[in-house]
Amino acid sequence: MNTTRFTSAALIGATLLAAGLPAGADPGRLLAAQCAQCHGTNGAGPGFDEIAGENANDLFGELIEMKYRPVEGIMDRQARGYSDAQLQLIADFLSTQPGNGDN
Amino acid sequence: MNTLGRRQFLKLAAVLPALAALPGLARATTAPPRVVVVGAGFGGATVAKYLRLWGGNIDVTLVDANARHTSCILSNLVVTGELAMSRISLGFHALRTRYGINVLQGRALSIDAPGNSVTIRTPGGNQVLPYDHLVLSPGIDFSPAPGNWNPSLTPHAWQAGAQTTLLKNQLASMRNNDVFVMTVPKAPYRCPPGPYERAAVVADYLKRKGRTGARVIVLDANAGITAEPEAFEHAFNITHAGVIEYYPNASVESVDSATRSIVTSAKSISRAKVLNYIPDQRAGAIAASMPLDSAGFVPVDPLTYGTADHPNIHVIGDACAVPATDSKAVPKSGHMANAEAKICADAIIRLLNGETPDEDIATGSACYSPITNKISSWLSANFAYGDIFDANGQVKGKGMHRVDLGEAASDMIDGDSYQDMFKWAESLFADSFG
Repeated sequence: MNTTRFTSAALIGATLLAAGLPAGADPGRLLAAQCAQCHGTNGAGPGFDEIAGENANDLFGELIEMKYRPVEGIMDRQARGYSDAQLQLIADFLSTQPGNGDN
Repeated sequence: MNTLGRRQFLKLAAVLPALAALPGLARATTAPPRVVVVGAGFGGATVAKYLRLWGGNIDVTLVDANARHTSCILSNLVVTGELAMSRISLGFHALRTRYGINVLQGRALSIDAPGNSVTIRTPGGNQVLPYDHLVLSPGIDFSPAPGNWNPSLTPHAWQAGAQTTLLKNQLASMRNNDVFVMTVPKAPYRCPPGPYERAAVVADYLKRKGRTGARVIVLDANAGITAEPEAFEHAFNITHAGVIEYYPNASVESVDSATRSIVTSAKSISRAKVLNYIPDQRAGAIAASMPLDSAGFVPVDPLTYGTADHPNIHVIGDACAVPATDSKAVPKSGHMANAEAKICADAIIRLLNGETPDEDIATGSACYSPITNKISSWLSANFAYGDIFDANGQVKGKGMHRVDLGEAASDMIDGDSYQDMFKWAESLFADSFG
């Protein structure tokens, strides 16, 4: 049985190596992809404010402010859709993305 | 067999089920994994794009019956002539050239789930496409209409394109005292605010064109306005008072397109000038070959959008049913289809890598609804993975639970929101197709 498991694992490894898929996703990438519907793929526009490449602390601070203040607009509602930890992951990921220099 | 000893054979037999459970292993190890996506609306286009963006060497084929996609989003403004049809016509050029997606024009005929292949009818004949993962994003089909309904006489315009143009032309033919009758389908249906938005912009059009005495009669199969109740009650009772008549609990009993007449449990209309019957809805045809829930949609795993019987067949967008707390269902919208497509793409890549799907996931929908040709409302809904509850408040399992829901307050239904609507659409179109 141990041999069988080892064989299966070895086969999987060989195939994936050949398939050449990127190993592991950046943390926050999938959560941050939910910003793209309004801010563009990877936050780089078009649409509302470009959020790619912004300082992570600034972005996280803005998201937290929007989440906890009385609702002034649609983004305040959207920010309420995520835990603080998720907002941190989103801010960290977007800060690493190249923008178009518009922000 | 002759060369294998019994011991070796048993060992091989034990490995085989594991091999079968891992699509792609049976093929040459140098070939990239293959994903076929059926339906190139917001869900299908987005999953194809993000599989290539995030997945690297995945062979992605995107199948659609049409050469371009016509967006339902913004299409009510094409009906009223505010926007040209070209504004909602979305091509697949960037998906082909920027992301290397094989775009195939054709219609999915059948799925061979045990054989991991799907048969596509194309202009050049049938093609059998093998896959490691299959993603179905076919949108909606209509439930059979009671009576004699002919959509080429009395359009639904709930799948955009020629139907949108037909309804636009019929609206333009209205004169003083004419009646525009429309139905709101029984939930769940595509785009919860959409029918109310249509009623509002049609009423606004009739007023702006000076069509004295012309009316919009809304026959809603539901017990009340299903989305943005404050915004649309205000639109119906104040903004467009005297033009819109709203009837809830109007179950459609029969439709007659030849005479543009409709009978419902709440109100019946004979010989309307325009009859915009929007039927009840269910999963698009190819997804309807999967096991369906009682409403006619395909239940899926919210972590992968895989189906119960076939985890490597995924259904996203309007055709799927995501487990959620009773009465807090995940809405069917282009924005949500885009959201689900990203979860699905990420999960497929992880599964192909032998990893488990991410559980720290969120989906959301945001949208804008014009009330006139100057002002718009908006709606926001967000969901996260976790416990979901039945009608008695008891945990009934895991699914997407609604974290937040809100519509624009009355002082936010304004010209700024109307302009924001175009920013939203531009970005959503680009994130899905560009």
